[in-house]
Amino acid sequence: MNTPAIEISDLWFAYSGARVLDQVNLTLPRGDFLAVLGPNGGGKSTLLKLLLGLEKPGGGSLRVLGLPAGQAGGRMGYLPQFTQVSASFPITVLGAVLLGLVRPGLDWFRGAARRKAEREAAMHALSRVGLSGHAHRRLSDLSGGQKQRAFIARAIVSGPELLLLDEPTASVDGRSRQELMALLAELNRDMTIVMVSHDMSTVDGCVKSIACVNRSLHHHLDSRLTPEIFAEATGADFPGGCPVELLAHGRVPHRVVLDHDSPDCCGGRHAHGPSDPGGGGNGADDRGGRSS
Amino acid sequence: MMEALSYDFFRNALMAGLLASVICGVIGSLVVVNRIVFLAGGVAHASYGGVGLAFFLGLPVLPVTAGFSTAAALTMAWVTLSARERADTVIGVLWAAGMALGIILLDLTPGYNSDLMSYLFGSILAVPDSDLWLMVWLCAGVLALVALFSRGLLVMSFDVEFARSRGVPVRFLHFLLMGLTALCVVMVIRVVGLILVMALLTIPPFMAERRARSLPGMMLLAGLFSAVFCVAGLYLSFALDLTSGATIIAVACVGFVLSLAVPVRRVPVQGAGEGPV
Repeated sequence: MNTPAIEISDLWFAYSGARVLDQVNLTLPRGDFLAVLGPNGGGKSTLLKLLLGLEKPGGGSLRVLGLPAGQAGGRMGYLPQFTQVSASFPITVLGAVLLGLVRPGLDWFRGAARRKAEREAAMHALSRVGLSGHAHRRLSDLSGGQKQRAFIARAIVSGPELLLLDEPTASVDGRSRQELMALLAELNRDMTIVMVSHDMSTVDGCVKSIACVNRSLHHHLDSRLTPEIFAEATGADFPGGCPVELLAHGRVPHRVVLDHDSPDCCGGRHAHGPSDPGGGGNGADDRGGRSS
Repeated sequence: MMEALSYDFFRNALMAGLLASVICGVIGSLVVVNRIVFLAGGVAHASYGGVGLAFFLGLPVLPVTAGFSTAAALTMAWVTLSARERADTVIGVLWAAGMALGIILLDLTPGYNSDLMSYLFGSILAVPDSDLWLMVWLCAGVLALVALFSRGLLVMSFDVEFARSRGVPVRFLHFLLMGLTALCVVMVIRVVGLILVMALLTIPPFMAERRARSLPGMMLLAGLFSAVFCVAGLYLSFALDLTSGATIIAVACVGFVLSLAVPVRRVPVQGAGEGPV
């Protein structure tokens, strides 16, 4: 059990000649909750596909749960992007969760005992995500946030050790987003989580480390967003400048700007104590000032 | 209706219509939920090349068309997987090429080609016993394959990306589905003709999709709708002396409009619990 959840060294991957990922190194211990940030086209989704074994690396090594990529399929849970599922598909919530128990290959025959066991596992997964009462509804009747939780139930129904999420909060409203993040934090007690996101507001308390992917990968063993991470995650280069103006629309800056000295500035949301190593503190104040 | 049933040709027509309904319910549902209606249309029209080939070579029409359509379908399946972004264009080309080939081969066939129209618009009133038996076997074969691969087909239809991540052989299932669609199209061409195949393949499943709670339920419901359209259309065409294929489709279209007017009954929400938090 002491093998890391993910071990990547000197990995590269290319689509038709151009390297999308290059010199990627990452060692993710079990129990981590990694947020993968980065600009569109920076290789986030490709990294996820490599982890899932859907794409083969061009070179370098990639081990998932101690196994070569592509061999840990049944021990990984996967939440694809929301938009890929047809809205009108005739299926109940329970039926959709049961599909998470499909076995590799054609899986043509299931005996009565296996059907019963699968049903119980699916009901258990639904209760974990708080949808027990909705098991027999049509999936299309659920709200966006509920659907997303049903898909998380499908991802965890097989009892995975590693959960991979592709933009889990992209299409849900703010309240559902907070509920989803709380649910993920709870699931993180049992499994390692890797969450691809372009939404920096998801990077809150429950995320344990951050990886910025933009062809290369930088792993930050801390979940606080610093100006450097901003720059990497947005793909922009700010030599001595301030990334906040990019993010000044909406609520985002209030949730991510480090602010050690004036807790009232952003409604006191930031819990970092004054003893926090400084350096970024005054800079953050400057940025806050400039963005408003 | 009793009077009509006393004719052999009408009984055969009814049987052909019901067999086509079963197959359209099953395959049409898969076609609709997998969003490959355009591909199915391509297969249907390209299959006309098979009809032309059969006449040109003087071979039985149904087996030759079945073989030709399957080949066309597998080619299209391969194109959609390998040249994804231009797949629709290539399918459009195959669609037209198949039809043109069929017409040219019929031109080159000596003799009077009265059957040309019957394959475009259906010849359900002229289904011989031998074709009926072939349809029974095709139907049984297609149903058996769908049943055998049901779980894979369901997982793929619902969410391809997820299916792939779980090691479900999506490529194989895609080819299988296209092959089954080709066989289905060949059967239904007999009934309503290739121009109208698409209606029977899409209208009943579309009506069923919103009302069903599972994919097998959708198939069953679509088959029932389709059977009702076939029986009612046949009877009307007999009573009013209209072209049978077109009448079946007309009935289906009326059913389609009516189904839009009838609201879908929603299952009452159980339990008010919303969040896990």
